[in-house]
Amino acid sequence: MQTAIEVNDLVKVYKNGVRAVDGVSFHVGRGEIFGLLGPNGAGKSTTIKILIGLLDPTAGDLRINGVDIRRHPAEIKRATGYAAQETAIDDRLTGWENITLQGRFYHLSGREIRVRATEVLEMFNLYDRRKHLTATYSGGMLKRLDIACALIHRPQILFLDEPTLGLDVQTRQVIWDYVEQLRTEHEMTIFVTTHYMEEADVLCDRVAIIDNGEIAALDTPDALKAGIGGDVIYVRFSGIDGNESALQSRIGAVSHVRQVKPTADGTYRVIVEQAGEETIPQLFMLCEQLGVTIDAVSLKKPSLDDVYLHFTGHAMRDDTENHEAHMKARFMRGRARRGK
Amino acid sequence: MTLLFDTWYVAKRELIKFFRTKVRLVFTLIQPVIWLAFMGNTMNRVTNNPFGAQMFGTSNYLTFMTPGVILMTVLFGGVFGGMSIVWDRRIGYLEKLMAAPINRGAIPFGKALAVMVQGAIQVVAIVVIALLFGVRFQTGIGGVLLIIVIASLFSGILSGISLSLAASIRTIETLMAIVNLFTLPLMFASNALFPITMMPGWLATIAKFNPVTYAVGPIRELTIHGWEWGKILPGTGVIVGLTLVFMLISQIVFQRATSE
Ligand SMILES: Nc1ncnc2c1ncn2[C@@H]1O[C@H](COP(=O)(O)OP(=O)(O)OP(=O)(O)O)[C@@H](O)[C@H]1O
Ligand SMILES: [Mg+2]
Repeated sequence: MQTAIEVNDLVKVYKNGVRAVDGVSFHVGRGEIFGLLGPNGAGKSTTIKILIGLLDPTAGDLRINGVDIRRHPAEIKRATGYAAQETAIDDRLTGWENITLQGRFYHLSGREIRVRATEVLEMFNLYDRRKHLTATYSGGMLKRLDIACALIHRPQILFLDEPTLGLDVQTRQVIWDYVEQLRTEHEMTIFVTTHYMEEADVLCDRVAIIDNGEIAALDTPDALKAGIGGDVIYVRFSGIDGNESALQSRIGAVSHVRQVKPTADGTYRVIVEQAGEETIPQLFMLCEQLGVTIDAVSLKKPSLDDVYLHFTGHAMRDDTENHEAHMKARFMRGRARRGK
Repeated sequence: MTLLFDTWYVAKRELIKFFRTKVRLVFTLIQPVIWLAFMGNTMNRVTNNPFGAQMFGTSNYLTFMTPGVILMTVLFGGVFGGMSIVWDRRIGYLEKLMAAPINRGAIPFGKALAVMVQGAIQVVAIVVIALLFGVRFQTGIGGVLLIIVIASLFSGILSGISLSLAASIRTIETLMAIVNLFTLPLMFASNALFPITMMPGWLATIAKFNPVTYAVGPIRELTIHGWEWGKILPGTGVIVGLTLVFMLISQIVFQRATSE
């Protein structure tokens, strides 16, 4: 797979001393959907803005399609599309005016703009409303228009900064469907940030978890989930009568089982490396041989939420507080580094 | 080449909105009508006598005041040139523009161009209104065209100043406060509404250096007297020079304010 985005040792220190990105490295393959996850203030938006040339990096080697982004900014801008975290639509213009002006800013010809604007607006189901002022659009429509605008110049790489933030479940699904479609039909590389872990899990080929400006983990969602401990099966038995230790060791010998432990209420907790659903039938067969009955069984698979919590060390809802304390500490460190 | 192209489309966006807001269009015309109808009628008594006529250079105060009204209208339009940049920054559109492969210089240039085109349109309207009020332009169509050019260059100066301020200002309220601080004094400390010879000494001194005075000079010359180049060129030259200077300043300030 060819590399679409290469980031090596990216550092960004804002003029006010905030160290937003602190030595980040990752590669994104062509045609990949790559997710950047992390708490508020982790440096996601900053990373995107640097990659599309809106901000200058403090340090680091950055390439898009193998081209140094600092050496050829105009070329990078034509190869990339960007929909910011905050929808940037002029509400005193119509949808059509918004998108066609965008085309002009990418130096497309009038004919190209008409053809493509029609195509993209139809894809995003906005064509019928194109002549209406965007002040009359709903939040979901504005977001869709914003993404549509980012596609007018047919970028090879699309950067979406929290494209589903604040949208209802259906609209979020619609947007993700478009993203999938762009990847399959246009072989577009998609770099996305989100706070919705389930979405990232389903859609992203690989995700990076960024915290305090550093990458804490990077892999496929499945590998990340497996990495933090695999599936857990809870089983309750009856008719064991003193055979506990024998049962426990027999279960421990089943393939992929990593650990077996009784819990306080007599339920056994069986940790499996992967595919817990395939282990359950084996447990049934084993119990039949031993003459033990299974009263209840349940399977819990780790979610990306668990992965996220594992690597960022705090739940999403605590982010703001922790973040502020952290930023203060980091700010002081930054000052100390600069000898102030 | 792309600078011109980009500048035009940045301006076009503003112009689409300008023509769309019909209420604003009407109001920009009501203002000069009010000035000409009320001020003109009241003041006509002052110029209606030989002494006044000599002082004002014309026996018709409306003729004297029309250049002032033209300047005032483009002045108010020009100072708001920076507002759209503050607004664009607020709604994230500025970032969107800068993520596109446009020449960044086109952003302040385009905003200024839009203001200048709006100014020119307003001047045309005022000229028509003034004609209806009986004002006659001595230099005819040619003179009126030059008046339009000078007035819209003048609005270019103002939008240059306001764009420079706007580049580092984050709220529209702050910009408005600063802008209001200097528009009215700029207007009254000039020869736009009264001849300098009628002013107290200190005000006359300020008025002599006021760019409004430089713009009014050639416009009034073209309106009242005729093609007297010796009186038209100096003021025009100053206005062209100031336009270039403030355009350049707004460019530098903008580039600096948008680099991080
Ligand atoms: N223009 C700026 N000037 C100074 N500091 C900034 C600027 N923009 C962002 N920061 C700081 O940089 C850090 C990273 O911000 P960034 O916007 O990249 O976070 P994020 O991961 O996108 O967060 P969120 O999930 O809230 O969007 C934060 O501490 C933020 O306060
Ligand atoms: Mg962000």
